[in-house]
Amino acid sequence: MQISPDQWILYEWRGLALNATVVFTWGVMALLVLISWAITARLSEGTRISRWQVMLEVVVETIRDQIADVGADRPARYLPFIGTLFLFIAASNLLAVVPGFRPPTGSLSTTVALAACVLVAVPLFAITERGLRGYLGSYVRPTVLMLPFNVIGEVSRTIALAIRLYGNVMSGTVIAGILISVAPFFFPVLMQLLGLLTGLIQAYIFAVLAMVYIASAARTRPAEAAGTPDDTETGD
Amino acid sequence: MQIDWLTVAAQIVNFLVLVWLLQRFLYGPITRAMARRETRIEDRLADARAMQDEARDEAEALRAERRELDDRREQILADARQRAAGLRQDLEDEIRAEVRDQRADWQRQIADEHDDFLAELRRRAAAQVVEVIRSILADYADADLAGQVAAQFAARLDGLDAERRDALAHAAKRTGAQAVVESGATLPAAARSRITRAVHETVAADLDVVYETDPDLLLGVRLTIGEQVAEWSARGYLDRLEKEIADILENRAAAATEAA
Repeated sequence: MQISPDQWILYEWRGLALNATVVFTWGVMALLVLISWAITARLSEGTRISRWQVMLEVVVETIRDQIADVGADRPARYLPFIGTLFLFIAASNLLAVVPGFRPPTGSLSTTVALAACVLVAVPLFAITERGLRGYLGSYVRPTVLMLPFNVIGEVSRTIALAIRLYGNVMSGTVIAGILISVAPFFFPVLMQLLGLLTGLIQAYIFAVLAMVYIASAARTRPAEAAGTPDDTETGD
Repeated sequence: MQIDWLTVAAQIVNFLVLVWLLQRFLYGPITRAMARRETRIEDRLADARAMQDEARDEAEALRAERRELDDRREQILADARQRAAGLRQDLEDEIRAEVRDQRADWQRQIADEHDDFLAELRRRAAAQVVEVIRSILADYADADLAGQVAAQFAARLDGLDAERRDALAHAAKRTGAQAVVESGATLPAAARSRITRAVHETVAADLDVVYETDPDLLLGVRLTIGEQVAEWSARGYLDRLEKEIADILENRAAAATEAA
């Protein structure tokens, strides 16, 4: 049994292997973009709105509200990054119910890639918001002694982000596969339903945590002037 | 746990491309549409508020206008009432004056009729009295009334005071004309000669005496020489009789008015 879709090679050309992770990722991307394009091509700005547009508006508005709830000053600035994280992970996880589909988020390569994006996005947003000096200064507060711990914390939470998502999605798929071989009729359905729920929750957790990291690094707060630590402790 | 770093790189690229695509096809259009709709709704709300304000102002203006119209109507009504009252007063005054005039006319007419009646009465009474006296004198005194009148006139002519007699004589001399004797009825020849004699004796011996008849005198004789006039008649009696009758009639009329 293949645990990771990375090992499922669909096409190989001169040593470059096209595995299932990338192909299914393209599929999810194509689905998201097509749906968005189909709906936004006929946007209404009046008072009569199609139900599809209402759905999209609700999704976008909810993501923006969540970003604002975390404490970002300008939600629209973070919307594309955080929103895409959530939509991509959620779509991948929900499509797990489609027979034959292997969610790309069940591949550690994908989750590492997403976590790496977050790892880079945090200093980028923070530097554009507070300047390079302000961002780097946050590593040596309250004292210089905290610098190694801050750096370790930065790296470890990124790894945790990747492993958490990978573990949850992969385990769900694997458990479903095992149960199908043991009790083919009833239990797999329950596990799939549970998988839908955990898939949405994982997408939410990933996106919100990314936003929390970005917000805590990018915010200019009165606490900064007072010299108190501003890192947000996060857990699994 | 296998990490295929080539796949990681590909997924990073995939993710960034997806970010760009969704920004292009999802977040951008949706947020823009929502912002535009919000702006439009804000505009419409502002328009609605402006229209509401306008309507309120309009309503206020209309209320003020209506108040003004009410006031004006009240004023017009008050003017009309006042004018009607004045007009009624004028009409009443006019009618009162008319009634007063009519009453005056009526009273004057009554007085005229009264006077006419009295004159008629006097005339008829005098005529009746003269007739009666004449009859009495003719039937019982064995002398006709004309003779008595002529005798009475002659006696009165004789009894004139000197000043009066001189005035008559002077008038006869100055005119050198004639003496005119008028009587209510035609005098008999004996009475005429008697009067002529008395005139001749009293005024002038050579004076011509002309006899004429004046029914207004009724019973009496009037002597006219120039401007001088000497007269004796039953007019005094008749006047007294008339006064008596007039008094009686007036008393009756007053009693009738009081009763009415």
